Amino acid sequence: MKLKEGVKKEVNSLRSLELKLTTAFPAKVVSLCIMLNIIRNYYLQAILAIVLAFAVKAGANAQSPTDSIKQLNEVTITSKLPVRTIATSQTLSGADLQALSTTSVADALKYFSGVQIKDYGGLGGLKTINVRSLGAQHVGVYVDGIRLTNAQNGTVDLGKFSLSSMESVSLYNANKLDYCQSASEYASGATVYLQTKRPTNDSLSVQLRNASFYTWMAKVNGQFNWKGWQGFVDGEYCSSRGDYPFRYHSEYEDTVGRRANSDIRYGRVEAALFRGGFSSHIYYYDSERGCPGGIVRRLSDKYTNVGREWDRDFFVQASYQEQFLKWFRFKANAKYTNEYLRYNTKYPENQNTARVDNHYRQQDAYGALCAAFMPWSWLSLSTSYDARYSIMKADLKRFEDVKRVDQKLVFAAQASWKGIQAAASALHQRYSDWTFVQAGAAEPIDRWTPAVSLAYTFYGITVRWWYKEIFRVPTLNDLYYTQVGNRSLKPEDTKQLNLGLEYHWNKKAWAIDAQADIYRNKIDNRIVCLPLKGTYTWSMMNYGKTFCRGLNATLKGHYNAKQWHASLLSSITWQKDVDRTDPTDEDMYNKAICYSPTFSTGLTAIAGWRALQFTTSYLYVGERMWSKADPEDILEPYHNIDMKLSYTHNIKKTSIGLCMEVCDVLDIQYEHIPRYPMPGRNYKLTLSFGI
Amino acid sequence: MKRLFTILCFTLYIYNACAQERIILLNEGMWQADNGKISYFEGGSIISNQWFRDKNGYKIGDTPNDIIQVNENLIAIAVNWSNIVQFIRPDGTAVAATEDIPNNRRLCSDGSYVYVTSYGHECETIYGTVYFDRGFVAKIDLSSFKVVATCEVGYEPEGIALYDGRLFIANTGGYAEQEGDHEFETTVSVVNAATMTLEKNIDTGIPNLFGEMSQSGRYLCINSPGDYYEVPPCGLIFDCKRALQGEPCFVVFNYPATYSTKTRDGHFLAIGSAFSYITGEYTFSYLTIEPWTFIRTGGTSGLSMSLPGNMLADIMNMAQPYGIYVNPYSGYIYGTDAGSFEGAGYLYQWSPEGQLLGTHKVYINPGHFLALPPYDWASGIETNHKSQITIKNDVYDLQGRRIDNLHQRKKGTIYVENGKKTLCNTQPRK
Repeated sequence: MKLKEGVKKEVNSLRSLELKLTTAFPAKVVSLCIMLNIIRNYYLQAILAIVLAFAVKAGANAQSPTDSIKQLNEVTITSKLPVRTIATSQTLSGADLQALSTTSVADALKYFSGVQIKDYGGLGGLKTINVRSLGAQHVGVYVDGIRLTNAQNGTVDLGKFSLSSMESVSLYNANKLDYCQSASEYASGATVYLQTKRPTNDSLSVQLRNASFYTWMAKVNGQFNWKGWQGFVDGEYCSSRGDYPFRYHSEYEDTVGRRANSDIRYGRVEAALFRGGFSSHIYYYDSERGCPGGIVRRLSDKYTNVGREWDRDFFVQASYQEQFLKWFRFKANAKYTNEYLRYNTKYPENQNTARVDNHYRQQDAYGALCAAFMPWSWLSLSTSYDARYSIMKADLKRFEDVKRVDQKLVFAAQASWKGIQAAASALHQRYSDWTFVQAGAAEPIDRWTPAVSLAYTFYGITVRWWYKEIFRVPTLNDLYYTQVGNRSLKPEDTKQLNLGLEYHWNKKAWAIDAQADIYRNKIDNRIVCLPLKGTYTWSMMNYGKTFCRGLNATLKGHYNAKQWHASLLSSITWQKDVDRTDPTDEDMYNKAICYSPTFSTGLTAIAGWRALQFTTSYLYVGERMWSKADPEDILEPYHNIDMKLSYTHNIKKTSIGLCMEVCDVLDIQYEHIPRYPMPGRNYKLTLSFGI
Repeated sequence: MKRLFTILCFTLYIYNACAQERIILLNEGMWQADNGKISYFEGGSIISNQWFRDKNGYKIGDTPNDIIQVNENLIAIAVNWSNIVQFIRPDGTAVAATEDIPNNRRLCSDGSYVYVTSYGHECETIYGTVYFDRGFVAKIDLSSFKVVATCEVGYEPEGIALYDGRLFIANTGGYAEQEGDHEFETTVSVVNAATMTLEKNIDTGIPNLFGEMSQSGRYLCINSPGDYYEVPPCGLIFDCKRALQGEPCFVVFNYPATYSTKTRDGHFLAIGSAFSYITGEYTFSYLTIEPWTFIRTGGTSGLSMSLPGNMLADIMNMAQPYGIYVNPYSGYIYGTDAGSFEGAGYLYQWSPEGQLLGTHKVYINPGHFLALPPYDWASGIETNHKSQITIKNDVYDLQGRRIDNLHQRKKGTIYVENGKKTLCNTQPRK
C-alpha cells in the first residue's frame, strides 16, 4: 500500500497541480536552428512557401500606400462568407458575460451545454472543464487564437483567467472554422476561445470587493483608444482565507467542519495592445495557495493536509493578420510561455506524506504561420504550420529535463454555395521528445487526422453534420514522471460525430437563437493511472474505451427596448456515456462512466432597467457516479442558484457602481470530486469607480 | 445412485466447511475518497460489503491497510489515511479508536499490546508527544488503548512480526524516491517488545523491504520491489531465531513475493510481479516455499514455482491480483482481484487443494484478510463436537496464529487447543 500511496500522492499532487505548469523555452537563435534541423523537409517547404508568399506580398504592400481599409478584423471577413452556423458553438459575450456572477472563466463555461466542470472547491481549487466527456486534456483553451499550453499535464486551470478583460467566451465543439486558422486550432477535441476586449474609448476604473471567507480583491483597469491603437492594462490582487464551512450529512455520517489550508493569494497583471490586424497580449500571474485534501474520517482536526503551492505563470504573445488583394490572407502567431510551480510538503506537521519541496519549470516557444487563398468568393483554401518547443525541468529524483518539439501542419478547405457549406481539413502532427530520463524518450508520434463538416441552410434554419478524429498526446507527466510515467504510452484517440440544427430569428427589439446537436463520441486508448498487475505500484497505462451519445441544446432570447433589456439563456445536456472496454466484464461494460451526469441544465435570466441590472442563474447537474464499484458511489444531483444585482450611477464622465452577489442562494452542499466540498452560500460586494 | 450419494455427501461437506469460513476483508477504497470498506464473508457468500458501517452506523475511514486478531474478543485495524487504529469486536462493533499514531502501516500483537509501524514522525504517548527523524514502532496498551512506548527504527517501516519477545520490522525507506534526503532502507530492525529498545539492525543488502510480510513461526517471508529501475525485485526468507542468535539469518530468492501468506503446514505461498520503469514490462511469478528447507540449504532447495491445484490459472485470469491468504483454521485459500481501477474487486475462494469454489464481488482494492475462528471455536463455554472441520491437534494462540512447533509454547500463556482454551504449564524446549 505504501508505495501505491506514495505514488498516488504523486499522482494527486499532479492532479491538484494539474494545470499548473507549462513548459517553454527561451526563444533563442540556437533553438531556432535546432528546430529547423529537425523539422521535416516538406514542413520546411511549407514554411518557405508561406514566407515567400509573405515576402512577395510585403513587396507589393510596400509599393502601395498603407490605408486603414485593409485593417480587417475577423468579424468583417466572416460576414462575407457566412460559415458561422457550420460549427457547433456557444458564445457568451458582452453584457451577458458581465451580467453573470463569475469570478473566473470556469464560472462562465459551466452554463454552456455539454460542459462538465471539475472543481476541487474554493477560490484556489483546481478548475478544469470537460466537453462532451472527452476529458479535460482534449479541451484546448485559446486566448485570441493562441493556445494556452501545459506540456506537463496538458490541462489549463481556468481559475487563473479573469473575465474582466474578456469580450467573449466561446466554446466550439470540433473546429472553429475561420478562414485563416493556425494548425493548433484544429488539434483539440473541443476548443474554448477567450476573446480579449478591444477598448473603444479611454477609461480608468477601480474595483474593490469584499466577499465571504475573508476574501478581499482589488482591481485596476486602464484602457485607451488612440489613433488606431487600442490597449489596456488590467491588474488584480486577491487574498482569501477560503475557510468555508461544509457539511456531509447522510444516513451514516454527519460531518461538519471548515475547510482547512484552503487559502489563496494571487496577483495578476495583463496588458494588451491592438492595431488593426495586430494584436498582442502579455500576462503574469503569481499565486500562493494551500492544497487541502479530501474530507476523510478523522478523530480530530489534528492532522490536515499542509501542502502548499506557488505558481508563477508568464506569457507574451503576438498575432498579426493581413488581407492582400481579395484572395489572400495571412496570419502569423508567436508566443513565449514561462511557468514555474513549487509544491512543498516539508512541514513538521506533515505526518502523512513524503516531505518534498519540488520545483517545476516549463518554457514554451511557439510560432505559427497561416495562409488562406480565396480564388473564388465561394471557396477558401488554407494551410498552416505550427511549431512549438517545450522544455520541462523539475528537481525530482530520477528526472531529467525533457524537451518536446511539436509540429503541426494543416490543409483545410471551405466552400459556401447557395446555402450549402462544407469544410474539410487534414491535420498532421508530429511530436518528438528528447530526454536523459533513464527510461529514454518516447517514440515520436507522427499522424494525420481528418475533420469534415457539412451544412445546409434553408429558411434561416441550418442543418449541420460534422465528423472529427483527433488524439491527445501523452503529456510529459504521463510519459516521464518519476515512478508513474510510462514512455510506451500511445495517444488517446477520439472520434466525434455530430448532427445539429441551428436557427436565428431577429425582429426589432427581439432576437432568438436556438440550436440543438446530437452527437456520438468514441474514445480509445484512454490514458489512466492504474495499479500494475501484482506489483503494488501505479503507472500510467492505455486502458479503456468509452462510447458517448448525447444531446446538447441551447435557447437564447434577447429583448432590447429603450430603457429595458432582458435576456434569457438556457442550455440542456443529455448524455449517455458508457464504458466499452471489455465486453466480458459485466460490472463495467456498458455502464455509465464516472463523473458524467445524464442530465444537466442551466438557465440564466437577466433583466435590466436603465443602469440597474438583476441576474438570476440556475444550474442543475444530475446524479453521476464517481466509481463503478457500488451503486451507492454517486455524487448527488444539485441545484445551484446565483443572484446578482448591480447598479451604476453616472455623473458626467465618472461612474460609481455597486454590485451585490449571492452565490448558492439555497446553501446547497455539493461536490464535483468526492470528498472535496464546494462552498455553500456566499456573498460578494463590489464597489467600482470609473472615469 | 451411489455416485449421486457421493456427490451429495461431497457437496454437503463443502457446504459445511464453507459455513465455517468467516473472513473479514479490508477494501482500501480510493485514496482521499473516504471509502475504505470492510467486507464480511461467511458460509460461502458475502454477508456485507460495508460491514463496519452496518454494525456501527459510520464509516471505517480512508485506506484501511492492515487487520489482525488481538485476542478472542478484539481485532485491530490500521486505517492509514485516517490516521486511526480502530479496535472492533469479532462481531464488527467498534470498541475504541486512537489517532495517536499518524500514518500507521502494519500491526502485530501479543494479546496484551498492539505494535504498530508508522511512516510518521510524531506519536502521542502517555508521556507526551515524541518526535522522530525516521519511522517508528508504537506500543498500544489494550487496557487503556494508549501508546505506552515507542521505538524509532528505519525510514518508512512496513511489515512487523513478533517472535520470542522481539519485534522484527522490515524497513522500506519508501519515500526515498520523493524526499531525496535518504536512500531506500535495507535493514530489518529487531526491537525488544518488552522494553521497546532497538536491539539491532540486520542489513540484508536488499533495498525497499516493502509489501505484505508473512510469518510462519520463526520464519518471515519479506518482499522487495527493488528500486523499480536498476535493482530488480526479489524476496527473502528470514529466520528470526538465527537472527537472535547472531547467525546468518536470511536467504534471498530472485522472485518478487508482493503478496504472500502462510499455509497450514507452515509453507509460504507467494505471488508477485517484477516491473521495471525502464522497460515498462513486468513478469509474473508464483511460489511455494518451505522455509526451513530453504534456509537450511541456503536457497538451493525448498522453493518451487507452483501453486495448489488450479490457482495459477485462476490468478492469471485476474486483472490485478491484490492479495492472497490462507485461512489458518481450515486451510481454505483466498485471493483478491482489484479489477480495473474504478470498479469493484473480487474475492476468490479456493479449497485447500486449490480448486476454485467461487468468486464474490467486493469493493475497491480489496487486499487485507482476517479469518475468524469457526463459531464454536475457542469460546470456552460451548463446545460443538459436530464441527465438520477437523482441527484435531491444532494449537493456536489467542491471535489466531497456528502454533507449528508445540515445543515453543510458553509457560503461563493461554492457547487454544482442540477448540478449548488451555493454560500452558510446560517450559518451552530450547
